[in-house]
Amino acid sequence: MSLTGLYIGHVNSLTLIFDQLKSLGYTVVGYRIIDKALRLDVLKTTEELARDVEDVQDPGKYSLIPGNFYRHGPDSPKKFLYPPKLLLFKVTPKWDVIINSEKYEGKLAFFGIKPCDLASIKVLDRVLTNVDELYTKVRERMAVVVENCTSSGNTCFCATMGTGPRARNSFDIAYTRLGSKLVIEAGSELGLRLINQLEVEPIDDNTYRDFEVTIRKAASRARANFEIDNLPELLELNIESKVYWEVIERCLGCSNCNMVCPTCFCFDVLDIPKIDGSAERVRVWDGCLNYTYAQVAGGHFRPDLWARYRHFVLHKFAYWIKQFGTFGCVGCGRCITWCPTGIDLRETVTKVLRGMAI
Amino acid sequence: MSKLKVAVFKFSSCDGCQLQFLNLEEELIHLIDLIDFALFYEARTYVEPGPYDLSFVEGSISTPHEVELIKKVRDESKVIVTVGACATSGGIQALRNWANVKEFQNYVYPRPEWIEVLKNAEPPSKYVNVDYEVRGCPASKEQLLSFILQFMRGKIPILPISPLCIECKLSGNLCVLVVNGTPCLGPVTMAGCGALCPSYGRGCYGCYGPSVDSRTLVLNRRFKEMELKPKEIQLLFKQFAGWSRKFREVIEEYE
Repeated sequence: MSLTGLYIGHVNSLTLIFDQLKSLGYTVVGYRIIDKALRLDVLKTTEELARDVEDVQDPGKYSLIPGNFYRHGPDSPKKFLYPPKLLLFKVTPKWDVIINSEKYEGKLAFFGIKPCDLASIKVLDRVLTNVDELYTKVRERMAVVVENCTSSGNTCFCATMGTGPRARNSFDIAYTRLGSKLVIEAGSELGLRLINQLEVEPIDDNTYRDFEVTIRKAASRARANFEIDNLPELLELNIESKVYWEVIERCLGCSNCNMVCPTCFCFDVLDIPKIDGSAERVRVWDGCLNYTYAQVAGGHFRPDLWARYRHFVLHKFAYWIKQFGTFGCVGCGRCITWCPTGIDLRETVTKVLRGMAI
Repeated sequence: MSKLKVAVFKFSSCDGCQLQFLNLEEELIHLIDLIDFALFYEARTYVEPGPYDLSFVEGSISTPHEVELIKKVRDESKVIVTVGACATSGGIQALRNWANVKEFQNYVYPRPEWIEVLKNAEPPSKYVNVDYEVRGCPASKEQLLSFILQFMRGKIPILPISPLCIECKLSGNLCVLVVNGTPCLGPVTMAGCGALCPSYGRGCYGCYGPSVDSRTLVLNRRFKEMELKPKEIQLLFKQFAGWSRKFREVIEEYE
């Protein structure tokens, strides 16, 4: 929730916020260009932050072009809150267990992530708080500076999922860039402290109107062809839909969707023996599209790909509500962009719902 | 703990996979404290007769003589692990399975009638029961070591069998297929190499062969959409693991 209402300043003050976070001892993470994509990475200065670039995202395609607004890349905050590979403990040759405790150090700040990214953290909160030790510890000392989206991408559907293009709560600072103007609001004590350092004034009528229109325009494009009212019930009622069978004609079962999904939290645990007689237990990301995911001692409970894909869709849009009281999907569109064959989750859901009407 | 009695056998192959044991270098010194290489022609001249606790088998079966030999290896081994692309799917010499071998013989050898060769080069699993596979061209030394360490401690050895994409994403690589439109076999290829080629911006060329539940025909369709020429698609699959059943399904569409 906003504590301040909207203020107006100059985009240059973003550097001040960044430097303030650094001087408060935060490790600042934001989007930078590495190779040919926006990657979430630890940043030393605002110079490293991606700028003058736009991401063009379509089903199965990603590229960067010159521009002044970007959304995201394959990484999401989960990369830092729930790392892809995590050493849990070591066992020495004498059977002493050494828990990996260095993983809990430090304060993390996300800078310039988008409302869908922030929403994904809120989803993970419901799943991992007080369940996952690392997540809980890092989350307690975390700051978020979120940038509202002034332009949505071709795979975005945050407006449908109610997660964007404007962040409404759970941030320290939310800002919107309108040319050289910065519309900014604080959502926490920390946010207030940061805003107080800046030269800002309450927003004027014209800028507010401009802000309204820009956000509304972004929202109108960030839509899927379905509504979320009664979505869990409708999807479950049509659980036998043949649409899932049709879609997997294009599905590779490669789990890229799981890997890039900002809320997919499933994992596998590996025991890795070392030559010196010690061993390590490591947690790695896993996903429900992966064949071995549902392979357990004694058998396999989802050997067919259509069942695995259906589980992915229904978990995000139906089961998640029952389990955690929120949708598992934030509408970021990563699973659409990073699918090697460009399977469009929005289309799947729309088609299943249409099947209901007939 | 008594030392495991290990044998390393070679069939039709380039020796690159068994060389990986020697490439372990630093670990090798500790490894020989744990296991005994009772038969390993590339490493030592001394040979202990079987039976062996664990036999690593490199290479494909391409001559009648090798068929007899692999049967003997089976009889003498408690556990057989086939190692590398040749031993798990036929390898590059299996490319001749689509060609006229007689013709090759006539070109290459002064006395082609002396050459006794099977119609097809096949992995040992065609002729004998194989217990485990370690894939790759060459097999990864880390996986070989990991296999031995797991096995000798009585754990069921587990190596990844999922698509490479998972390993690629865990490594933080950018998808070369989505970003560059590079044809990549990663989505249908078994993980285990640590996504070596995509880490250098190249497409995966599938040396580990098909993953479990590999969807090669779907990827084939994707490559067609990307307007790859039929020959290009065929040659992508017709490499190190071309003779594996799943890769063959695509190759044979273009034969």
